[in-house]
Amino acid sequence: MNFENMSLIELASLIQEQKVSSVEVTKYFIDKCVEKQNLNAILEIFDDAISQAEEMDKKIKNGFKGKLAGVPVIIKDNILYKGKKASCSSKFLENYVAQYNSTVVDHMLKEGAIILGRANMDEFAMGSSTENSAFVTTLNALDPTRVPGGSSGGSACAVAAGLCPVALGTDTGGSIRQPASYNGVVGIKPTYGRVSRYGVVAFASSLEQVGPITKNVKDNAYMLSVLAGGSENDETSLKIDVPDFLSYIKDNIKGMKIAVLKEVEEVVKGLDVEKTYHDVIKFLSNNGAEIINASIPDFTLTLPCYYIIAPAEATSNLGRFDGVKYSRRSQSATNIDDIYLKSRSEGFGKEVKRRIMLGNFVLSSGYFDAYYNKAKKLQQKLKLEASKVFSVCDAIILPTTTGEAFKIGEKVNDPISMYKEDLFTILANVLGVPSISIPCGKGKNNLPFGIQIIANNLNEGIIYDIANFIEKEYRG
Amino acid sequence: MKKTNVTIEEVRRLAALSALEFSEEELQAFVPEFENILELVDQVKNCDVSDVEVQYSSHKLSQLRSDIAKDSLPQEEILLNSPKTKKGSFCVPKMLD
Amino acid sequence: MQEYDIVIGLEVHAELKTDSKVFCTCKNQFGSSPNTNCCPVCVGLPGALPVLNKKAVELVIKAGLTMDCEINNLAVFERKNYFYPDLAKAYQISQLVRPICIGGHINLKNKSVRLNRIHLEEDAGKLIHSTQAIGTLIDYNRGGVPLMELVTEPDISSADEAVEFLTKLRARLIFADVAECKMEQGGMRCDVNISVKPKGSKIFGQRTEMKNLNSFKSVYRAIKYEANRQIEILSNGGKITQETRKWDDNHEKSISMRKKETSQDYRYFPDPDLLAVEISKEEVDKIKKTLPLMPEELKQKYIKDYSLTEYDADVITKDKEIINYFEETIKFYNNPKIVANWLLTDILSKIKDEENAEIKITPKNLAKILTLLEEGKISRTVAKDIFAKVWEENADIDELAKQLGGNVDENSLKDIISSIVKNNPKAVEDYKTSDTPDKVFRWFVGQVMKETKGKANAIIAEKIIKEFLN
Repeated sequence: MNFENMSLIELASLIQEQKVSSVEVTKYFIDKCVEKQNLNAILEIFDDAISQAEEMDKKIKNGFKGKLAGVPVIIKDNILYKGKKASCSSKFLENYVAQYNSTVVDHMLKEGAIILGRANMDEFAMGSSTENSAFVTTLNALDPTRVPGGSSGGSACAVAAGLCPVALGTDTGGSIRQPASYNGVVGIKPTYGRVSRYGVVAFASSLEQVGPITKNVKDNAYMLSVLAGGSENDETSLKIDVPDFLSYIKDNIKGMKIAVLKEVEEVVKGLDVEKTYHDVIKFLSNNGAEIINASIPDFTLTLPCYYIIAPAEATSNLGRFDGVKYSRRSQSATNIDDIYLKSRSEGFGKEVKRRIMLGNFVLSSGYFDAYYNKAKKLQQKLKLEASKVFSVCDAIILPTTTGEAFKIGEKVNDPISMYKEDLFTILANVLGVPSISIPCGKGKNNLPFGIQIIANNLNEGIIYDIANFIEKEYRG
Repeated sequence: MKKTNVTIEEVRRLAALSALEFSEEELQAFVPEFENILELVDQVKNCDVSDVEVQYSSHKLSQLRSDIAKDSLPQEEILLNSPKTKKGSFCVPKMLD
Repeated sequence: MQEYDIVIGLEVHAELKTDSKVFCTCKNQFGSSPNTNCCPVCVGLPGALPVLNKKAVELVIKAGLTMDCEINNLAVFERKNYFYPDLAKAYQISQLVRPICIGGHINLKNKSVRLNRIHLEEDAGKLIHSTQAIGTLIDYNRGGVPLMELVTEPDISSADEAVEFLTKLRARLIFADVAECKMEQGGMRCDVNISVKPKGSKIFGQRTEMKNLNSFKSVYRAIKYEANRQIEILSNGGKITQETRKWDDNHEKSISMRKKETSQDYRYFPDPDLLAVEISKEEVDKIKKTLPLMPEELKQKYIKDYSLTEYDADVITKDKEIINYFEETIKFYNNPKIVANWLLTDILSKIKDEENAEIKITPKNLAKILTLLEEGKISRTVAKDIFAKVWEENADIDELAKQLGGNVDENSLKDIISSIVKNNPKAVEDYKTSDTPDKVFRWFVGQVMKETKGKANAIIAEKIIKEFLN
């Protein structure tokens, strides 16, 4: 059977109903991973995947029921799965073996998932192309000369290339949605706190969330219901009931109020994405949605706001990688100061170092008020501006990326233009609200890009409803 | 807006705070790079936020975790990834008191 | 010669009495094998997140309430970033902008010392500096143990005052069940900021800091030494350098610590992994209700309500164990003054020079002896004998009272006293006319005791004598 063209939901039910075995499916995807290893999407296929699948087949025979019973899943390399390596695509953690399970892995195992392997990423999730991985650069699933986006580039590529039915990414400034856009798949950044961050190696704690990358919207809703749910190990996770997100998909957007931001209209002019963006708006309007002109006046300041808060938190979060307790310790270090300096200098890549330096700049005495405090206040102001929009609208529509995936090497020496890649995606992280990217169009190179639907806190249901409606039209 | 100047001393200070070692060329290269990044982030200075109070996400005292001790990880698991251990402890070269 | 004022501020750390650590559920326990009370959170493993312990916050509030602090309605936790091997995450979770407690004071004999704040933070792990070959070992068992840090205003002006302050602080923390303050285990540590200035001057001198003093004696000596050192430098026209100095208890001197290459810049910012804590007035009031009276308040109560002398009240309220003993005894024998007398003369004198002294008679047993005495079933002499036997061999009081008691009963006593009064008319006359009838009265009591070989109950005897004489 050709499992790669099946949806996650179909596959899960086939295995649950014992029409196919988990072993069969797991082997199939492992073969795919091997066959397409030139994509560099996967860093490691876990050696016990098949034995886990055998176990699961037995359990299913004995009546086990789970949303992911026997379904193979690929996780981003910054998500801990006990006993397995989690390197964050960093030389520093190259041989780090997780000492405990992340909450998301626990949630998936509880539903019977087979954790197949770990996907490449930008080192510590800092980047937009996977070119910052210390090990390999992942290729775009649709064009090997182009980047897959990042930082969850390995995960998005894996789903797009049919290496797995679903993969997990993390999104701090667009790291799920941007690669989803570039690879023509669906990715959501849930509401901040919807999914527990426990056991996910932190980059910028106040901005990031784990989310699913899938081939279609319904699979995505299905998977988020598994991942979501507060954890007593994470104060910032929301201790509220997890809805069945699929139940929100009603195939009707009549009367739905969708905001178009004035500021985005300005920015989008002349970009590859412009025409598609306006097409989708028109499509929604033609189908009964009410398009509302709205404004988040400080929209363009989301980028500087993000590039202050994220490095500040990162610099502190990455302090624990000091060569004392785990993983890398420089061979040439002979005293404690050397252990710090050499282990970190040898273990971290250029972009990580750059952001640590930047974070220390904005936090250091004399600059703290002008940068960090100012950015936090700006974030608060943006939240107020957005709440005005959400008080009259159900959702906001905006592009995910400026256009198609860029060429490998094109921006690698230009951090600023790389940072600007995140322009459209950062808003949702700064606000904390959920946002999805769904493939909507193709550019001049016939490569895909996505459109984002953002909604107010906890309104993933609305997002899925609109996204599914768009998907039906635009899925070729 | 005036461009924020970055000095090589500043870069050195940041490297020390970061516990990172750079070659002289790398340090020099940071100067223009930082100035460019600061040009981006300096935009926040244009924004008037004088009337904005930062809101902390909060919870009530009564919602906090109860003081109940649970089992810890076994010592060998705690030390699992350690580059050097001795006598059940993490170990670094002898430090001055 | 120029005289100097000494200006001292203290920063006191005390480990809080909780079962679990402040940000994880590992045991808060001293003396375990290295790295056995550890988990992903307190060893700073990748992906681990802190979860705040309610009790730790409540204990800091409790501490604050015993010192009249204001309790912040929103407490925020910040990260203090620096690299040191005992600090697993390369940041310590502490509080800067919104500590749990603000202000407050502790009254000393001659002044009130203002507090700046009390906040909650996590302790660091422990470094064991072994041999060159082995190196420095790191044990994170203590990492994440809840600590309160109390910061005073620079209101203290001598080593004596500093020790007085610490003694009072310690008593309160122990009393309120906030901390055990076991100094030998590092359960209470003190940093001393000290500067000197010409007497009466309004301008503060340059200060030095001495870190981690872990006994009152060290604090006392360190202050004496450091003040003298600074005065000597200034007297010779020198300047004080702002620095951290280490107190060397063995050599009784402070030495400058190796200067760090980078000046400390802790880059505090709110910890994004933790939520701020809302502390309502109702919750503070609830905690207030659980507070026992503090030593000073108890002392006043003892003087006012129990008519104890200031000295007795002071001695009893110095130690929590003794207060508990006293309070427990008067539950069974409601004459605080008599209990206090016995406690001071018969018990405390016995154990004052012992280390780890233990009161070898239960409050209930002491009360029993005192009751027998009051009821006239045993004499004072017998009471003391029984007390000694219970103390030494945990003897049975009822048994002893039967053996040694055999008290002269009230009727026989009347007969005896009647004949003494009859046979000593001159003394009776003296009693009525003397300026000092008390003295004569005592003589009569003495005669009764002599006649009964000490087996008369003094209180009853006195009562009967009074009847006969009047």
